[in-house]
Amino acid sequence: MRTLLTVLALLALLGAPPAGAQTPGVTDAEILLGGSNSFSGPLAFTGEQITKFGVDLYFRVVNDAGGIHGRKLRTVYYDDGYKPQEAVANTRKLVEQDKVFALIAPQGSPPVVATLGYVEEQRVPMLFPYQSSPVTRGKKWVFQGMTVSDRSSRMMVDYLAGQRKIKRFAAIYQDDEYGKSFLAAFEKDLGRHRLKLLAAESVKRGVSDVSAQIAKLQAAKPEVLFLVLVPGPAAQALKERQKIGWKDVLMVSTGPLTDERYLALAGDAAEGVEGLSLWPDPVTSDLPGVKRYREHMTKYFPKNEPNRYSVAGYFAGMLFTEAAQRAGRALTRAALVAALESTKGFESGILPPLTIGPDHETQKQGFWVRVEKGRFKQLTDWLRSE
Amino acid sequence: MTTTALVHVVVSGLATGSIYALMAISLVIIYNATRTLNFAQGEMLMISTFVGWSAHEALRLPLPLVLLIAVAAAAALGWLVERLVIRHAIAATHLDVLIITLGLSLVLRAAAGLVWTHDEFPFPSFFRERPIGLGPLRVAPVSLGIIGGSLALMLALAALFRWTRLGRAMRAVAQNQRAARLMGISVERVYSASWVLAAVVGAIAGVLIAPVIFLSSKMGLVAINGFTAAVLGGFGSMPGAVVGGMLLGVLENLAPLWLPAGIKHSVPFLLMIAILVIRPSGVLGRVRQRKV
Repeated sequence: MRTLLTVLALLALLGAPPAGAQTPGVTDAEILLGGSNSFSGPLAFTGEQITKFGVDLYFRVVNDAGGIHGRKLRTVYYDDGYKPQEAVANTRKLVEQDKVFALIAPQGSPPVVATLGYVEEQRVPMLFPYQSSPVTRGKKWVFQGMTVSDRSSRMMVDYLAGQRKIKRFAAIYQDDEYGKSFLAAFEKDLGRHRLKLLAAESVKRGVSDVSAQIAKLQAAKPEVLFLVLVPGPAAQALKERQKIGWKDVLMVSTGPLTDERYLALAGDAAEGVEGLSLWPDPVTSDLPGVKRYREHMTKYFPKNEPNRYSVAGYFAGMLFTEAAQRAGRALTRAALVAALESTKGFESGILPPLTIGPDHETQKQGFWVRVEKGRFKQLTDWLRSE
Repeated sequence: MTTTALVHVVVSGLATGSIYALMAISLVIIYNATRTLNFAQGEMLMISTFVGWSAHEALRLPLPLVLLIAVAAAAALGWLVERLVIRHAIAATHLDVLIITLGLSLVLRAAAGLVWTHDEFPFPSFFRERPIGLGPLRVAPVSLGIIGGSLALMLALAALFRWTRLGRAMRAVAQNQRAARLMGISVERVYSASWVLAAVVGAIAGVLIAPVIFLSSKMGLVAINGFTAAVLGGFGSMPGAVVGGMLLGVLENLAPLWLPAGIKHSVPFLLMIAILVIRPSGVLGRVRQRKV
């Protein structure tokens, strides 16, 4: 009987939560963050850059300077290969087994959307998902990262139809949530200007030839063709236009697409392409934050070339650090959310001063660029979507 | 739709179709010799193209040398895979070997990701992209180049199968292994040779198509279309593989011109089902008649 009691008492001790560690992922020495991302599949390069060379780059800087209120930052990531079901399994593992404090910079509309319900139910902060669907808006525990599609569309259409007086629009889009959310937004915003999309052609993800789509779009005689694609197919579309010698059209790329990678792939077929850029040029920009980013990249990952994805991850790390600093030593999930919600005029040196409103969106702007001699040249100041 | 546009779309389709055909041929070469399917064919193509590209990046070699290096890498890879992995499973069922190659494809893709990252890279092309006028028509030299290059390779393969000892041995093994062995043909050497040959065909296809679909760890997925093409043409038949590949490439391009978005991507597969229902052995496959 006594043995049984001893065993029971021991079990009770083991089962009891250790004092002072109520917040998952936060100990005296460290804060654990995690994320499900693409380390294989179509967005593997992006995923690796955002997390291991972006978020982690900033966190190394923070850790070398002593951490946040004495706590070092640690991250754990799992690969979902851009598959929603894997993202859900990874997210559950991160929350229930690894007990992360918050989720950071997950990528891609389908995987992120699939995990939203669980995240809200578990009250785990999801920080700055790198995706463009507006479904993250209005979620209590989610703070959207990238400028969402309806805001991008409003800036693009208002600039082109308003300032540039262009009337004939068409689109080539990826046949998934990313493409469709942009298409719906374009229809709506063109409607406000009493215009409509003359033609829209979809491209399936993966290996394919886009000659038929481009031939059909050319027949509609648009002045502007929106490219709502990922780098590979977008570069193919540009080369296809060159192959058929289609000159009297302006190719315009969406925010998620406007990056150096697709320029490199398209080569001279990219000359004259315009687009909405969500980030300053990671290589040439002399904004103070971008300069610091380049210095840190050279110091910690000298072999890794600067690019927009690692800038995005670096910015996410910076924003988390700023809010966690203000949340204080007694860090809880609710305190982090409160700190983020009270962000006012935060100067990152990368994006314009940031104030986070009730919509929880941390990026709402972009600026217009044109490709000249293989690089993006800035044509406008930051365009606003409010 | 103008005739010029239509011709361009068809020629583009023939260009991708040529690559499907080359993939189909390389699958059929291995299948005929060993009766197994090589699911790693696409990844072997990807690895050899990457090796060629690395040589180009590091040493700034001219493109013909890059092609040679890719071909040499492919031959080495094909030989190694057959000798180190497949040969040991010689007594296993075809299904086991199939699973082995499937696993191999995953391993090779992951390894490529580690070495070259999962990024996409531009690849230098033998041919230009700006269109040239042919009478009233405009065609892109790159499409014609891919078609021409593939056709030349196909002719070379046909000559090899018809007129060389190795080719005859390979055909003999395809027809009847036991009889071939009794005639003094080393079946093992034929196995080895077919893996090497298939890998080499893949590498040439890789160097031809990489400028169009870009070099990346996922470019091996083109083998799936090669498989479809081989089935369309009648699995096991070389001319069938060519016809199947061209048919698939053109059809993939023509379907989006007239069909609604929802259905166009499934057209090749609908056609494949239709052909398999009407002619189960494929367009040019041998119809096996069984005597009762």
